[in-house]
Amino acid sequence: MTRLMHTSPSDEPEENLTVQPPKTWATGAPAVAHALQYSLEETSVRRTGTTLLTMNQVDGTDCPGCAWADPSPGHRHVNEYCENGAKHINDEATTRRITADFFRRYSVSDLAARSDQWLNQQGRLTEPVVKRPGSDHYEPIGWQEALGLLAGELNSLDSPDEAVFYTSGRVSNEAAFVLQLFARAYGTNNLPDCSNMCHESSGFALHETLGTGKGTVTLEDLHHADLIFVVGQNPGSNHPRQLSALEAAKRNGARVIAVNPLPEAGLLRFKNPQKPRGVIGRGVEIADRFLHIRVGGDLALFQGLNRLLLEAEDARPGTVLDHDFIRASTSGFEEFSRHARTVAWEDVLRATGLTRAEIEKVRDDVLASERVIVCWAMGVTQHKHGVPTIREIVNFLLLRGNLGRAGAGACPVRGHSNVQGDRTVGIWEQMPDSFLDALRDEFGFEPPRHHGLDAVNSIKAMREGRVRFFLGVAGNFVRAAPDSDVTEEAMRRCRLTAHISTKLNRSHTVCGDTALILPTLGRTERDIQATGEQFVTVEDSMSEVHTSRGRLEPASRLLLSEVAILCRLARRTLEGRTEIPWDRFEADYGVIRDRIARIVPGLHDYNRRVVRPGGIRLPNPVNEGVFGTESGKALFTRNDWQMPRVPEGHLLLQTLRSHDQWNTVPYTTDDRYRGIHGSRRVVMVNPDDLTELGLADGQRVDLVSVWSDDVERRAAGFTVVAYPSARGCAAAYYPETNVLVPLDSVADISNQPASKGVVVRLESRALAGTTPD
Amino acid sequence: MSTIEETVQIAVPVRTAYNQWTQFTVFPRFMAAVRDVEQFKPTLTRWTVGRGPVHREFLVEITEQRPDTVVRWRVLGGRGHGEAAFLSLAPDRTSLTVRVGPGDPLGVTRRVLGASLAHFREFIEGVGEETGAWRHTVRDGHVLPAEAEPSRSHGAHWPHG
Repeated sequence: MTRLMHTSPSDEPEENLTVQPPKTWATGAPAVAHALQYSLEETSVRRTGTTLLTMNQVDGTDCPGCAWADPSPGHRHVNEYCENGAKHINDEATTRRITADFFRRYSVSDLAARSDQWLNQQGRLTEPVVKRPGSDHYEPIGWQEALGLLAGELNSLDSPDEAVFYTSGRVSNEAAFVLQLFARAYGTNNLPDCSNMCHESSGFALHETLGTGKGTVTLEDLHHADLIFVVGQNPGSNHPRQLSALEAAKRNGARVIAVNPLPEAGLLRFKNPQKPRGVIGRGVEIADRFLHIRVGGDLALFQGLNRLLLEAEDARPGTVLDHDFIRASTSGFEEFSRHARTVAWEDVLRATGLTRAEIEKVRDDVLASERVIVCWAMGVTQHKHGVPTIREIVNFLLLRGNLGRAGAGACPVRGHSNVQGDRTVGIWEQMPDSFLDALRDEFGFEPPRHHGLDAVNSIKAMREGRVRFFLGVAGNFVRAAPDSDVTEEAMRRCRLTAHISTKLNRSHTVCGDTALILPTLGRTERDIQATGEQFVTVEDSMSEVHTSRGRLEPASRLLLSEVAILCRLARRTLEGRTEIPWDRFEADYGVIRDRIARIVPGLHDYNRRVVRPGGIRLPNPVNEGVFGTESGKALFTRNDWQMPRVPEGHLLLQTLRSHDQWNTVPYTTDDRYRGIHGSRRVVMVNPDDLTELGLADGQRVDLVSVWSDDVERRAAGFTVVAYPSARGCAAAYYPETNVLVPLDSVADISNQPASKGVVVRLESRALAGTTPD
Repeated sequence: MSTIEETVQIAVPVRTAYNQWTQFTVFPRFMAAVRDVEQFKPTLTRWTVGRGPVHREFLVEITEQRPDTVVRWRVLGGRGHGEAAFLSLAPDRTSLTVRVGPGDPLGVTRRVLGASLAHFREFIEGVGEETGAWRHTVRDGHVLPAEAEPSRSHGAHWPHG
């Protein structure tokens, strides 16, 4: 039976779509001007100045944007922020407010018909509101009653495993630690988080092969590498400050190889707005080589490359591989090597869409380099074969000893400020016994030991009625999740859904019988508790933990901090069932940090060390020759793979962010570097593919995804844009196209949604100009 | 400009002298020209030199290290390199020889090197024991797996999504 899925909320009319040739450079003066323009529109000049100046400075506010590292104190620009960060911070610091009147005027159904952008623009939430069973409006509710509702619901569930607690990367270490402690004291490990959808493949692959699931490089390593790969990543839009690091690396003589199905502007040429030469002049060409790879072809690329390196060693023994390192620090080389030599070139070239000559040139670049770093993001992780791809990248780095050495290593780039810190302090449904034992010994209760639900499994459980309660701390779960219609239907089956948020988003419009919105402080706002002003801490992609302190007056007197909300909820729900000092935690976050210090390896002496300039650097054991694998060595692995089957007349679609978008939040409809303005319902397709498919630039289509179930997943009313995407591959924005990603389409092992490997066909509608359904 | 070499004899056991030399962040205490040393990983440090308003920075990679024997380094992005070699002369006596290759960004002269070593000797003899120790072996820039317990500063050992 085919069920027709309704589409996500309609957007503004399409008539104002304009397309220009994609830019060949990113940032530069327009980026800075743009950031200021957005921030001035959103907020007052004074708030703009205050927030931008303190962003990412020592003792300032940590930008809740991406997780790119800050240079050491003394090496930061006064304007150590990027365009995204500026917009993000000022988005949070907006002077617009949502009040009870707003909710009287707009019902939940009204809000559910609005675009993500419109919802985000309505301003800051100011007081708790509830949607009661049978009602279609949110109405004000006091904090006591709101927390009482939550506690009451939690205590009436048949089992603690009927609740899930979702964390998004804005959540600080302190709030995340309190949340997982509460959930475990309550009796469940159901702690899905946003990493489940982004770098889970990296965590699994790196943990398995190196013993630590995190990146191994620091900023200084990047500055002094000889060769840097940027794979499946778009730094120009998503990590602009990474471009500064790449620029520094190039000035020191590094070469950069960009691997991407789209020729992203930031990698072609970068104009650094932080430096005078970036404001005027031609900027720096970042990528020395650009591999226009097919979506999902990275595993094949690295396998091909590894085979070439082994053959180069055969031709000149002792000159290519780091035999000492392989012998002393790795295992599994023989089997890997045997398998690698059997990789078929025909398969590699078909999967990558590259020529053998291109890959051989990369081999030559590698042979000419002593220090190599590979950076990657969702283009690598969000595939069925995401985990094997990263394992193969590790194989590549191990061959020439590019792990554990200065200027070399693995660099998974995270896109969300504290996604790494949340995991460090225990937000994971599979925490090891050593951590749970430490919680037990410290707090005197027995945590549950059976694994909990990750994001995908939480959705399945809600759909099947096994989970009845959902609490999201920050984030926009409904828009971050795959298979949007399935996810929304699942959420609506809950008895209670609640979100701790600063701004309105679609998740608030997809309600259980009862729904709560609990407004909270943003990173930019002063957090005053019983013992005085508080700061929180976060961990970036390079494992540096530092403080974040807000300076603005809160958007409303009724806001509570994330820590305060969670502590009060815990007290109400558990009512003295444990001896955990929730009120002391709420009064003084330093007490939380003291407890974290006794439980989490590496954060000993947390309070004293984190306030030093630069904070705490959590060393990666790999850089000390320590591999936490069973054998105590780094593992070479053998990775077999199959390319997704793309039937004739179909394309492989990657869902991605536009510029002016941060995660699920689009700020405008302006994808400046790709030259697409005025609409987000676009699909980018190679002109040669359009010809073969009998489609035209500007044509209106529906995107329909293909999967092994008989469910039709349709994203209606898209405009085709002819674009230099790799052949056979298309690209479209998320969250609008999340509806196309089947819940069961996940990466092997990591269970993260394969959002960049969606098989689709484009079905023609009437010609451009027709408004969508 | 060629390699400069200076030797000093120190009245402490070789283990003490070597251990102190591994504590790079403490060097400003006895090397006047060194303003600050920041350590990113065991084999990567940033040195800020110059005591007045003018200072320079460079990154140093440790390429070889063998406990109680030698520490070898090179300057990233430059041509500088050097080594510190330790020799036990008696239970309470150590010979320390430092060689600094040409192209060293400090522009160290023989006299300055000699003075620095004298200050190091004064420091370690006066304090009597090392401020810390790092006893791993580094070969070709890699830290070799050690049998000892990993240091307590290591981070969490579960996968990070």
